[in-house]
Amino acid sequence: MADDYPSLLRSEQMSLVQLFVPTEVAHDTVAELGELGNMQFKDLNPNVNPFQRSFVGEIRRIDEMARRVRFFSAQLAAEKDVVPIRPLYDSAPLITVGPRAAQTIDELDVTLTEHESRLVKMNESYQTLSTRTRELIEAKHVLRETAVFFDRAQGQQTDIRTSFDESSAPLLQHDDRENQFSSVGNVQFDLEFVTGTLDRARIPTFERVLWRVLRGNLYMNHTDIVEPFVDPATGSETRKNVFIIFAHGDALLAKIRKVAESMGATLYPIDANADKRAEALREVSVRLEDIETVLYNTGSNRRSEIVKIGESLRSWQDVVKKEKLIYETLNLFNYDVRRKTLIAEGWVPTRDITTIQVALRSATEESGTSVPPILHELRTSKTPPTYHRTNKFTEGFQTIMDSYGIAAYQEINPGLFAVVTFPFLFAIMFGDIGHGFIILFAALYMILAERKLAKQDLGEIVGQFFFGRYIILLMGAFSIYTGLMYNDIFSKSLHLWHSGWNFPGAEGVGSKIVGTIGSHRYPFGLDPGWHGADNNLVFVNSYKMKMSIVLGVIHMTFALCLQVPNHIKFKRPVDIYANFIPQIIFLMSIFGYLVITILYKWSVDWSQTDVKPPSLLVMLISMFLSPGTVEEPLYRGQGPIQVVLLLLAAVCEMKKIHDQGYVGLNHEGPRDSSDEALEGEEEGNGRAIAEAADEEHEEHDFGEVVIHQIIHTIEFCLGCISHTASYLRLWALSLAHAQLSEVLWSMTIEGFLNPAGVIGWIALIIISALWFVLTIFILCIMEGLSAFLHALRLHWVEANSKHFEGGGHAFTPLSFANAEFKE
Amino acid sequence: MEALFFNVDTGFLEGTVRGYKAGILTQSHYANLTQCETLEDFRTQLSATDYGNFLANEPLPISTSTITEKATQLLVDQFNYLRTNAVEPLSKFLDYITYAYMIDNVVLLITGTLHERDTHELLDRCHPLGVFDTMPALCVATNVEELYQSVLVETPLAPYFRDCLSASDLDDLNIEIIRNTVYKAYLEDFYNYCSSLGSPTSDVMQRILSFEADRRTVNITINSFNTELSKEQRAKLFPAIGRLFPEGNNQLAKADEIDQVRQVCENVSEYRSFFSESSGMNGSAGDESGTAAQLEDRFFHTEVHLNKLAFLQQFQYGIFYSYMKLKEQEIRNITWIAECIAQDARDRMQDFIPIF
Repeated sequence: MADDYPSLLRSEQMSLVQLFVPTEVAHDTVAELGELGNMQFKDLNPNVNPFQRSFVGEIRRIDEMARRVRFFSAQLAAEKDVVPIRPLYDSAPLITVGPRAAQTIDELDVTLTEHESRLVKMNESYQTLSTRTRELIEAKHVLRETAVFFDRAQGQQTDIRTSFDESSAPLLQHDDRENQFSSVGNVQFDLEFVTGTLDRARIPTFERVLWRVLRGNLYMNHTDIVEPFVDPATGSETRKNVFIIFAHGDALLAKIRKVAESMGATLYPIDANADKRAEALREVSVRLEDIETVLYNTGSNRRSEIVKIGESLRSWQDVVKKEKLIYETLNLFNYDVRRKTLIAEGWVPTRDITTIQVALRSATEESGTSVPPILHELRTSKTPPTYHRTNKFTEGFQTIMDSYGIAAYQEINPGLFAVVTFPFLFAIMFGDIGHGFIILFAALYMILAERKLAKQDLGEIVGQFFFGRYIILLMGAFSIYTGLMYNDIFSKSLHLWHSGWNFPGAEGVGSKIVGTIGSHRYPFGLDPGWHGADNNLVFVNSYKMKMSIVLGVIHMTFALCLQVPNHIKFKRPVDIYANFIPQIIFLMSIFGYLVITILYKWSVDWSQTDVKPPSLLVMLISMFLSPGTVEEPLYRGQGPIQVVLLLLAAVCEMKKIHDQGYVGLNHEGPRDSSDEALEGEEEGNGRAIAEAADEEHEEHDFGEVVIHQIIHTIEFCLGCISHTASYLRLWALSLAHAQLSEVLWSMTIEGFLNPAGVIGWIALIIISALWFVLTIFILCIMEGLSAFLHALRLHWVEANSKHFEGGGHAFTPLSFANAEFKE
Repeated sequence: MEALFFNVDTGFLEGTVRGYKAGILTQSHYANLTQCETLEDFRTQLSATDYGNFLANEPLPISTSTITEKATQLLVDQFNYLRTNAVEPLSKFLDYITYAYMIDNVVLLITGTLHERDTHELLDRCHPLGVFDTMPALCVATNVEELYQSVLVETPLAPYFRDCLSASDLDDLNIEIIRNTVYKAYLEDFYNYCSSLGSPTSDVMQRILSFEADRRTVNITINSFNTELSKEQRAKLFPAIGRLFPEGNNQLAKADEIDQVRQVCENVSEYRSFFSESSGMNGSAGDESGTAAQLEDRFFHTEVHLNKLAFLQQFQYGIFYSYMKLKEQEIRNITWIAECIAQDARDRMQDFIPIF
């Protein structure tokens, strides 16, 4: 049944295949299949714990390797100067298949371990060295800052002295006084002190604790160290302060030291003597120089190691990721009885079986054994996964539909039709030649720069636009077309041909001019004569409103008709006459009729007839409320025709309920087609139900079926009305878009159009730039997104509810290509 | 009425905590964990739970202490998330939860300093939830007075310590007395605070805290047999809340052996089972340590049970407390299983306390 060419109309035909893989080629086979990326493996031992599976040892080893690689990339990322990482396509590939595969992995493991231990060692020595450097720098700062403090204190000494003698003498301790007397002349700092550095954030706490512990018997001074200290391992900055605390007595000093140490301060003993301090400073500077040289050497060694790692990091990451995937897949396999071969089961697209067989053979050759894996197809009653083969053009459209729900296996795929209908519905709401061109060019740029952009990480928002570039391209092109139809370019109109309207010359400002219709008609789109006319809005409104109803009914009818190929494909003839035909007749007899009257009303020249043009809205309402009577006739015999149509609609619904109920009652065989139909309909209304893999037909009893049918029928009838009304959003958004662009034009650029002098020109340029920016952001991006959203809704709700069954599960093949960029 | 406005301030956090609670390991998780042969298996198995890849970046071989540490870190992160998002009065309630850890840390530091252990090593062993920034200065203090004046006076624990300022020297017995006095004060304060929050928080929390108080009372009694602690001193350590208070407490204060404790406990129907089997099995008071161990186990079981009950009621803060307690129990369980795997003591592996 497989077609010659893959098509997007239905999902791929799938087969369940079984592979018998000899243990020795298993790894290479999976690698080959992963490169191919079109087989979805089934878990054959779902009841086994993850750590009791066959290849846990290998996975664990790979995990360990992965941890090392992660460690490397973290180290590389933490490096301040950016380390060049050679991209994957540049690096020599590591061969992990074939007879030497095991060896390669072993070697890689060893390399990684070596690199890790070397890097860890280097980090350690770097760490110790930089800690020592930091200590020395801190010591330097302590010396310098305290020197400043001492100097200042010395300058003020005489003042201090006098004040001491007078007021604080009684408070001083006995030995202090002795000291004073014995060395009045030259003693400077008989108080003892503690110096050190401490994290700036902890200074207040430290001060408070000390004050409390020493009961206020201390004098503390601290200054900031200006430059921050950077931790080489984490790269985080700490800012520190130098402090000096004066206190008296050994017990107190010991306490201060203890508190300081437990608060995380580093103490640096310094001397009260200025000369000794200077000497210490010199010594520290010398040592600092030495250690900085060593640090520099270590740093550059480490750097070169890291650069070396950077060269092959990507290929390691690649290998590790692939190997992990391979072994995880192998864990899904089952051993046969003699444990010589592995058994795998999985879904493949039927047309790819030959490709897979070729791949299996090449895997055998590559691994150098003579026993090829055996593939054979299984017959199954399980529902295969849904697989739409897309290319980069259709991918975006298919994604739009897949995010609503995965189609059932082999049902008509709405994604195919979305390629045209989606941009078209969008363009109806976004009709403007100028805006259309802007988004067309944006999309063209993205498509032309595709190769370059695909490699970059664009970020979440831009990345999404890039993913939808072909959708945007078509949306742009269609917008240009609808823009031509509406004759709108940045809210102005184009005069491509002569207008069909003739306006006599103006007689005075403010006077009304009435145009007269000429002999020829404008050949394409809206006549530019309407632009600026008083009744422009009235005309355009009525035109766009009716157009959206017409297009909406056409779209819904088309979607409804898509049921038929599904019913034929799944051999449910009963659904065609019990479901599809009543529905289509119902839709046609009410809304199809409305469309016809719209078209008829357009075709009549009401200025020539003697009757007033009837309101179609009133006609439709009175068709339900007072069938048979028509107040403003559109054509002759309208009353009876409307009655007949109404009866037809009612009969169709009755028949639908009856037929479905009847079929539901009669069928009690194992092949219960109406049940399938019911399930299908249930899901058609947007509730995607994940079916269990084994299809078990539940038995519905008659009452249930009838009630379900009644609900479904009512839902369909109400749905038809509300959905038709829902298409009016086409009109509303298109109107809003046109009005918004007109407002933007008149609010900004219009007043500046006739520039006088240099200032006028400058103002024009500035305001044009403003206008252009606002056009892009408000009209193209914001309005575009809203139109996109509404087009999305029209497809998901209004169209999909007519035919879409859904409830499929997506085909997720083992593929290295998908895994590569996931991180 | 509390249901009307509760969600304005606390709805999000309650939801968060209930989400966290859904991640607590279940019986089947434990069944899988106990089948592990090595700690690597253990890690693989844990990565399938809510713990996720919390050990993925640890180099092999993993030690049980790393597992505990990382698991605790996860819990602490969760708690800090809740704490930062909380407003009054929930934030205060959450603060009360941290006080218990602070008391533990303070006692740990004092004991450590008394035995002249390295301060930094002690600081590393402190529970991260009970850390306060003047904490390191605790190791300077040599007596309670100083301890209080220099450090504790500015912490929220200050009022709890006021009662035990009389104890002058710091020695092992006194520290133990301080710990219990402070904890008693804390429990009573927390109990009163919960009562002030009104129903249903008070209903749930009073039940849990009463049990906690009774557990302490019984433990103090049993542990003080044949020690220097006089009966009057013992009586002072009993929290003045709980279901055993006041008659039970009075009797316990006079108790001399475990049988008397049992008699007191039998007055409360829920506690009756604590002693029932153990006495039947051993029959003699000689196996007191065994009884105590078993008693401890039952206490944990009851605690888990009570905390699980807290989740049955909505619009109350008890679940925050209960979640912390359950998670702590879970970490204890994980550590226990990991320890059993590491030491190859498979026969004792089942002795953890399952939560769900």
